[in-house]
Amino acid sequence: MQSLRQRLFEFLFPAETDIWLTILRFGLGLQTTLYSLSLRRDWNELLGGAGIGSRDLAEALLSVEGHLVPRLGWFVALGEHLGLREETVLAIAWICLLAAGCGLLLGLASRLSAILAWFLHLCAAGSGGFVSYGVDNFMTIGLFYLMLSPLPDRYSLDWLLRERRPRDPQHLGFWRRVLQLHLCVIYFFSGLTKCLGTGWWNGSSIWRALIRPPFNVIDPEILVRGAFVLPIVGVVICLLETSYPFFIWSSKTRNIWLIAICAMHVGIGLTMGMYLFALIMIILNVAAFGPRFGLRKAANRLTSGYRKRTHKLAGTEHSFHCAPSSVHTSLLISTVATSVLRIRSTKG
Amino acid sequence: MNLAGIEAGYNYFAPNVPGGYKLVFELHYPDGRVEYELPSVSSHAAGLRIQGLLDGIGRIQHDVLREHLVKTLTQSAWREHPDVKMIRAVFGAISLPSITEFKHGKRASYQFLYAYDFSLEKPAEPKDR
Repeated sequence: MQSLRQRLFEFLFPAETDIWLTILRFGLGLQTTLYSLSLRRDWNELLGGAGIGSRDLAEALLSVEGHLVPRLGWFVALGEHLGLREETVLAIAWICLLAAGCGLLLGLASRLSAILAWFLHLCAAGSGGFVSYGVDNFMTIGLFYLMLSPLPDRYSLDWLLRERRPRDPQHLGFWRRVLQLHLCVIYFFSGLTKCLGTGWWNGSSIWRALIRPPFNVIDPEILVRGAFVLPIVGVVICLLETSYPFFIWSSKTRNIWLIAICAMHVGIGLTMGMYLFALIMIILNVAAFGPRFGLRKAANRLTSGYRKRTHKLAGTEHSFHCAPSSVHTSLLISTVATSVLRIRSTKG
Repeated sequence: MNLAGIEAGYNYFAPNVPGGYKLVFELHYPDGRVEYELPSVSSHAAGLRIQGLLDGIGRIQHDVLREHLVKTLTQSAWREHPDVKMIRAVFGAISLPSITEFKHGKRASYQFLYAYDFSLEKPAEPKDR
């Protein structure tokens, strides 16, 4: 039992460098910046109270879910108290989102930028509920994990200029693991649901997806010529997504699945015009399962200080990913992890 | 998870790819002229969102909610054409052909579902279904 807990603990807190965090921060910075720029002319029209997105109605429906669900209406109401027009408040929100995206790109005020980007984007996605789609869901997921991760990473300006260092480097592995598990759940159920539809087995779903406005980027006449490929593509997508949690973990098959799933998203982006959606999925996948460059060297460097400390305290060398004192400080770590923690502390 | 916004799944186009929806504005000018227009936005990214909205409207079973959403889209068209006397918003489903049907010459067709007349004087009147 103890061994099982120990293995679970080691699974949840693996050794990790901050390369994945750099990819996630830079990628989400790019995504947030492009997202803001792509909507710059339609922002007010989509998110205005009486605009196309029916913000007032969307927020009324959000209130049914809960009064604490973030929304742009809070800022608009605050702006009214300060004598600001709705358009001005929305413009400020857009500028702040763009600034947060640029901040993440550069790694400047990384934590603040991540929190600001997550919150503003969540507000926009909630308030524009009628006009939001997949890209919003995945941006929210990515930004949520980014703001909780131990920023800054070593390639950020914060690291270079302010000499700020994360106090709990072992959390790097934990948050990457959470992102990995989340993606596995998402792909598995996505693939499973697709498998239930006959259209994915005979190619008709691919055909319909590609000729359906506004995703009809490719001329249907061209698609008809390659119609024999469509069932193969449909089956491959089903199998790729459903088998993702089973093949992405093994070092032997990981790269194949990662490349295949990224190729699938590149295909979606190019053939359906969903560029931002493709980008966010690729960012999340590469951050979660991308190569672990220089893991051994960096992990040793990050944890050497901790090893010395534990030698002094306990006279026993722990594995470098076990850092009980700092793990205790995390409010978001599960009860399982903390119970294992106590056992390991007792052992030491 | 709901508050954090990370509860959403990934079941787009699953289990099958649904047909789309289309909204056409019939712009009636005081001189009797009639023009047709689609909801317009400035960018492709916003266009994807409008299509998502139309798909959402198509799935809505509640008449009042559907009318409200069509009305807000119509107001946007009105802002671009302030001299229009009346706008008829015609909402329909896009019927996509299968590969075989396409090879035989069938193309995407438009199936009428709802029409709403909007004018500055009178409130919206659902006409037909």
